Amino acid sequence: MVAAKVNKCRIVRYIINLVAVNLEPKKLKRNLCLIAVFVSLFKLTHLHAIVSLGDSVELEGTLKFQNILRTPKFRDAEAIMQRNTAQLESKYYFLKDREAFGRFNSGPIEEATLTVIGRGVYDSIYDVRGSYADSFTKEDNKYGRTEASLREAFVDIVLPPFSLRLGRQQVVWGETDGFRALDVINPLDLSWHWSRESWEDIRIPLWMARGIYDIGKFKWFDESFIEAIWIPTDFRPNRISTDPRNPWAFTGNGLPETANAIYKDGELLDLDVEFRNRRPNKKWTNGQAGARFKAIWGDIDFSLNYFYGFSADTGVKVQNSLTKTSDGIHYMVKDLVNPRTHVLGLTANYSEERFTQSVLRMEATFTTGIPVKFDSEVPISVDPDQDQFDTARRTVLMLAVDRPTWIKSLNKHRTIFLSSQVFWRHYLDYSKYYRGISTVKHGMVAGEKVGGKYVSFNTDRIDRDEFVITFSASTSYGPAGLIKPTFIMALDPRSTGAYNKFAVDYFWSDNVLLRFQQSIYWRAANHDPGPWALGDIWGHTTSNSRHETDLSLILQF
Amino acid sequence: MISKFSHECHCRIAFTLSLVLYILAPAAYAAENQSYAELVSWIKAGSPDTSSLTTGQRLTINDREQYLEGLIPISAWEYYIFNDMDMEFAERGSYPPSSDWGVRMDQDYSIDERGVLIDFTGGGFPFPDINEDDPFAGQKVIWNMLWRPGNVDYDMPMTTWLRSEGGKLDRKLEFTSVASTYARGDHCLVEGYEEVKSKRVMEFRSPRDMAGAKDMSITYVDHDRENSGWMYIPSQRKPRRTLASERTSELMGMDMIREDINGFGGKVYENKWTYLGKRDVLATINVRDNPESGGPHLWVPHKARWEVREAHAVLIEPRSETHPYSYKIVFVDVETNWTLWMFAFDRQDDQLLRMNQHYLKYSESYATEMPQQAPYVKQDFSDNIGHFVMLHLGESDINAKKPHATITHCYVRKRDFSPARAKQFYSLRNMISGRR
Repeated sequence: MVAAKVNKCRIVRYIINLVAVNLEPKKLKRNLCLIAVFVSLFKLTHLHAIVSLGDSVELEGTLKFQNILRTPKFRDAEAIMQRNTAQLESKYYFLKDREAFGRFNSGPIEEATLTVIGRGVYDSIYDVRGSYADSFTKEDNKYGRTEASLREAFVDIVLPPFSLRLGRQQVVWGETDGFRALDVINPLDLSWHWSRESWEDIRIPLWMARGIYDIGKFKWFDESFIEAIWIPTDFRPNRISTDPRNPWAFTGNGLPETANAIYKDGELLDLDVEFRNRRPNKKWTNGQAGARFKAIWGDIDFSLNYFYGFSADTGVKVQNSLTKTSDGIHYMVKDLVNPRTHVLGLTANYSEERFTQSVLRMEATFTTGIPVKFDSEVPISVDPDQDQFDTARRTVLMLAVDRPTWIKSLNKHRTIFLSSQVFWRHYLDYSKYYRGISTVKHGMVAGEKVGGKYVSFNTDRIDRDEFVITFSASTSYGPAGLIKPTFIMALDPRSTGAYNKFAVDYFWSDNVLLRFQQSIYWRAANHDPGPWALGDIWGHTTSNSRHETDLSLILQF
Repeated sequence: MISKFSHECHCRIAFTLSLVLYILAPAAYAAENQSYAELVSWIKAGSPDTSSLTTGQRLTINDREQYLEGLIPISAWEYYIFNDMDMEFAERGSYPPSSDWGVRMDQDYSIDERGVLIDFTGGGFPFPDINEDDPFAGQKVIWNMLWRPGNVDYDMPMTTWLRSEGGKLDRKLEFTSVASTYARGDHCLVEGYEEVKSKRVMEFRSPRDMAGAKDMSITYVDHDRENSGWMYIPSQRKPRRTLASERTSELMGMDMIREDINGFGGKVYENKWTYLGKRDVLATINVRDNPESGGPHLWVPHKARWEVREAHAVLIEPRSETHPYSYKIVFVDVETNWTLWMFAFDRQDDQLLRMNQHYLKYSESYATEMPQQAPYVKQDFSDNIGHFVMLHLGESDINAKKPHATITHCYVRKRDFSPARAKQFYSLRNMISGRR
């Protein structure tokens, strides 16, 4: 009881300090301007969404002010993010009704549009928090503070029965939510807030061509079409930060530090690791491509998918021949690689209207080329290259059910949308020497911690079969449905690690949205990190607890 | 001094009490007039004599007893009769369908013991004559309504205002619906799709959190078969299958449920039906323009053109014990078979829960009076002339229990898809990507 009171006091004190910092005379003027901007935003009520410029150009966008407070085990609080994002989207209808630019007959091309989406980001936490600002030097190039990017830029061309989208874009296949099996065409940027953002915002768009040929009805199929994508040279891996100075760095299942020491023959040595980029470079031979056939058979909506690409997850190959120890320093060379993969997938959904009144979803994939780590003590018979690296074949099966459900005691006007998924991931090529997430610990000599020395271990044996279960519930309240709560849970039944999110969106007006989100990471038993980056990895100790409170103000037009 | 204070005190108490009673009076009055039983009594009371009304005459609050109470369904008095009300009266018009309506029908259809229409493929009204003594009269009125001309085949941009009491605007939505009739009597719009009654694609434009969201639904000729539906959500960048059989949840924060669309959007066999007879009602059947909103809450049409229309009154009783409604009564125009009014009563207390009232315009009236354009797109409304159909210019949907209302304006342009274009446009292929 007393502890809880103390913790609350600390959180309140922290918030007061944060306010006080922002009221410093130097910052006051700037902050008053910001307050004035905010007040005027709240005065906006019904600004047009989609601003039309003439008949051919449309603009829309958002301004998002996202504040994240990390509350480790709810014992403390620290602001880790003040991410201010401006996104501007435009669409140019340059060809309508077979007429380009209002002048030229375009023959068989019926319609064409150009879409451009740009994003600018400034994370002001690095200026607000002295400790953050001081931890980065000029050489760090203000990592994570700012971003100015062309997110997407593509041309849509409609030439019935063919349509084409050319340019930088996102393509999503499959039926899953929140976990990926077939949705692997675009990598994810997990560097600044892991996968906790809308995936539309963290997918890394790629330059590609996407063509769709509409078939319609034939034989036993209805609404059928063939889709093909080609990514000529634009390979990018999933982006992960491993720099512990970043609030959402992935530093393994232990201390939020980078290993800088290693035990060799019982002795603690300094560790110097050189990482070499051996990822696919921009060559035609490094192209990626895929195709799918989608149709309705009976009342079942299904697709058959194939993608030939590279694994977006990066593997690490230890180059043993280049490893040496000299002057008490152990030198290692590791190659970062993204193996070729084949992904075969089958998806289906079915709207069962009579007995369960629910939509049933299914996704099954078979993937080759999954990069896997070996234990450092792996026998040579298992790892002949002794590079602690292997590729595996893996299958994923996802079964899901969506159901709008009346729970009148909770909401008498609207149903609550319930959705649940079960994932089963299975290694076809399994080795007991496969390892998962490593752990960083203090370097120890004679039972004593050695300051500033951190050693990495990996005792996390991968299971042949991995499972995760998700559940979400969402609805809306208020006469016009302006209050929208969402509850999300993901649970790994084997490691008992879990993630919960409770979020509420409140539409102050059509243009101003206030968002509150609370994320909690927990586990029921043991300290198995599990394979899904849930519970224990971000909730085991106070130092790695990533409970978060997210308060956002979003202006949309 | 004491006496003066006491007198002042009594005056204040009396004033306060009067104020309270004054404020409570309309509520009590409304509750009195909004029960299912009172609407049935109002229908049975018969139509008033309106022979003295002339075109151009303004109906105001002063006409309450003589005309308004007899012509506006009693459940709607609270919203439609107000102090500065101004209705322009017009004599009953004639709005016939095109000459080929009913000519190209396949006559080999029937109605089964549940009242379900079997093997009907459109092209005309399935039951042009309604006999009051027919045990299926109620269902037949609804079948005519469901297969009426002008129901779809349009580009329809819409603006919707969600308003609380006092006219407070909570949300404004902009979206466009495009729909086509496939089943056209002796032929189908797209050969090979004979099982399809109609297809519709609807896309949101505003507000931004909904912009780009679109859904496609397929309605089938076989009434026993549920619709198929998909929704594309830009933030997910993929379509999602939707459930059709849940029809009683409010849509997108609006004050309507799917089953209330056009008065009745559910399944005939899920209800019991009673034909209550014909009744004259005031209706915005051929408005000049999308009407401005009026009344104390800006929920209802104001300064609009109204006609006295003869309407079928049909009682619908959901069979399910968990359905939110105990009763629903729809008033369907005898000539055009469009729904004019709908009233649904709460299963808890048989008091009004939801109602809707529709604003319509005859296509041929576009030759002499063009309605306004949508605020975000311009269309050639002259395309509407020659179709001889009613066009839906909007509706008021009121939830009496919240209380809250949704007012929609539709800006309809008739559109005939070629078979090839329809095949391309209404396809699942179009649902896998959107404006972003």
